[in-house]
Amino acid sequence: MSEIISKAGLRELAKEWIAQGKVVAGPVQTKPGLVMYAKLASADEIVWEGFVRPANSVKEFVFPRHELLCTYKMEGNRVELANDGAEIPAQILLAVRPCDAAAFPILDHVFNWDCRDELYNRRREATTVIALACESHDESCFCTSVGLSPQAERGSDVMLFDLGEEYEVRSLTDKGRALFAGKAQPSERTAPTYMGPDPRFNPEQVKQFVDGQFTSPYWQEATLACLGCGACAYNCPTCHCFDIVDEGNSQHGKRVRNWDSCQFGQFTLHASGHNPRPDQGSRQRQRVLHKFSIYPEKFGEILCTGCGNCTRNCPEGQGMLTLLTGIEHA
Amino acid sequence: MSEASQFEPKIVAYVCNWCTYLGADLAGTTRLEYPANVRIIRLPCTGRIDFNLLIKAFEIGADAVLVSGCHPGDCHYTAGNYHARRRWILFRELLDSLGFDLRRIHFTWISAAEGRKWQEAVTRITEETRKLGPYRELYQKNGFRRPNAPPPPKPPAPAKNNAAAQEQQLRETCARLLSEGTVQVVIGYGVGGPVFVRRAEDAAKLVWNADCQANLTTYLKRKEIKRLGKAAVVVKGCDERGLVILEKESQIDRQTLRVIGMACDGMGQPKCDTCTVHQPRFADEIMGQAGAAPSEATRAGALDALMQLSPAERMSFWAHEFERCVKCYACRQVCPLCYCERCIADKNRPVTIDTSATPKGNFAWHITRAFHLAGRCVGCGECTRACPAGIPLGLLNLSLARAAEKHFGYQAGMDPKAEPLIGTYALTDKEEFIR
Repeated sequence: MSEIISKAGLRELAKEWIAQGKVVAGPVQTKPGLVMYAKLASADEIVWEGFVRPANSVKEFVFPRHELLCTYKMEGNRVELANDGAEIPAQILLAVRPCDAAAFPILDHVFNWDCRDELYNRRREATTVIALACESHDESCFCTSVGLSPQAERGSDVMLFDLGEEYEVRSLTDKGRALFAGKAQPSERTAPTYMGPDPRFNPEQVKQFVDGQFTSPYWQEATLACLGCGACAYNCPTCHCFDIVDEGNSQHGKRVRNWDSCQFGQFTLHASGHNPRPDQGSRQRQRVLHKFSIYPEKFGEILCTGCGNCTRNCPEGQGMLTLLTGIEHA
Repeated sequence: MSEASQFEPKIVAYVCNWCTYLGADLAGTTRLEYPANVRIIRLPCTGRIDFNLLIKAFEIGADAVLVSGCHPGDCHYTAGNYHARRRWILFRELLDSLGFDLRRIHFTWISAAEGRKWQEAVTRITEETRKLGPYRELYQKNGFRRPNAPPPPKPPAPAKNNAAAQEQQLRETCARLLSEGTVQVVIGYGVGGPVFVRRAEDAAKLVWNADCQANLTTYLKRKEIKRLGKAAVVVKGCDERGLVILEKESQIDRQTLRVIGMACDGMGQPKCDTCTVHQPRFADEIMGQAGAAPSEATRAGALDALMQLSPAERMSFWAHEFERCVKCYACRQVCPLCYCERCIADKNRPVTIDTSATPKGNFAWHITRAFHLAGRCVGCGECTRACPAGIPLGLLNLSLARAAEKHFGYQAGMDPKAEPLIGTYALTDKEEFIR
């Protein structure tokens, strides 16, 4: 048996959360034709339907594009370091797509591997993820190719399913149950299963190809259109590379970490001027290698949730899907 | 004491070593008194004052900025101040469209003999800034998000082109160029993105339809493409303007490059809002005949709406827009004219532009991007189209393009004979804002 909540009821609930001082984020109509995840100023801002998925990823709420690590002060030989110690407020990510939610447990591995990343984990613990099952897909979607689906529960604390006037509520964790306790009514109704896109490629084959065909001309051929921006990585739910920089002067300043992308030439540039990944072919190959071979070998799962944001955001219409479906013919 | 009377403005003065700096020195040695609010930074020549420095002064808390150099005709290096003057004319317009308070940015000519003029200028600027109060609006959101949307541009004139016939002609031409060996690669549009056709029998991969939005001339700068040999590139009227600039800047060899021009009636919004050239003019082969392009008045609607706002509202608008910037640099990468081997944004010894996607880092980046394209941007709209966050970056370039037209009657990429706007100067450049 499952539970339901009326759509109006959920909106009221979101208002309550905001009133309690929680950060609530969800898909917002940024401008005509563009929906992005953003912090909600009011519960009415959220858009529930009429789009396939937001243009950005929701990872930003646990792994911000820019984050302060510490501040420093230097005087003679003395160095003083300080954290800003700011509280991380409880946050609720609402109407998240399953392909975004599934990225959280994938990211958890890397931020808890050889050391525990305090900042990431503090945000992650303060976060509750309420996913909304998909009811549409576009030609960029490929969740079913990487073992997920429009109803995938992975990484969500609560799953919502659209029933027309209500949402079916499936609370999956204690965190999720706490949010909906007493707010949802028991019901027999349950949403029909939406199948989503047909599988487009086999990740096992991708792994074999990228492992075995490292020097294949395919990588150069298939990536000629890549211009080397970071639009794919920065809107990817699972890409997590960052750069640590000091901003300030010799007396005081701050150490911050910012997103970085393997598609930038500077990403691997050595101080000597040598660049082991000298062109877009090798950079794109690295992206595939990391997602479909290195990460699975280390952590047992693919570093891709099939959201298709790489394709949607690519100025030249490229992306993982183009590259991976092409492997079959390579 | 009230806060206003306690406020002591901080003024940063960037001055030329050969004139104003000596003028200030003279003011000191002749015991002329002037407010101690000015911090002097001595530079070799006004022509060497990077526009980023003006911004930087505000970022570290300046309430006003003064830039001062030699009178026209007096430059120690012959013409540095003329070059500077031309840049300032354009840069002020960019800052205006971004919502900077222009009352806080001052330009003067002060010679080594004009100690008294230095005294007067510093006194005047200090008093004016004191009245304005501290500069608090910098990069601030004040709740204002968006100007009233201008009426949507008129739909383009009905297409006179037969896209299918154009496509057929395109394929035949490219097959011929490849089989004759005139070129080794055709950079064209395919299904789902650009294609790089290297065999005549693959010419059928080329398409011509409403999805052909990208400006393919950007591939001419990429070493991955240069490796493929002599190229032909498919361009629309807007893209072709970029080639004019690239040739002028010695980035392409027009003798070996084949240009295939496609008449175009607009590919859609917002990409084509600002375009005024639908028909290629200099291409080696031109396919089709385009209808009339939108007029100047139509294309500037969004910019006009922006410029009707107060500076603080404009800054708030941009602060809201830039807030979404994650620094993916798609705007830079798609731009055919952003071809630097190493972009200033990537330089880290020292860092000129913060890599952080913060208000400071984002404003610094977008000001730099726009101004490096001053007098060069051809308005192809790729920056706006590429931005994943939907930031209307083309507006900044449009404000500069309009300034170039207003002050110098110059349109980038229209006249192959025209000298580049930045890098040249005229003795007659207007300078009413320089005191």
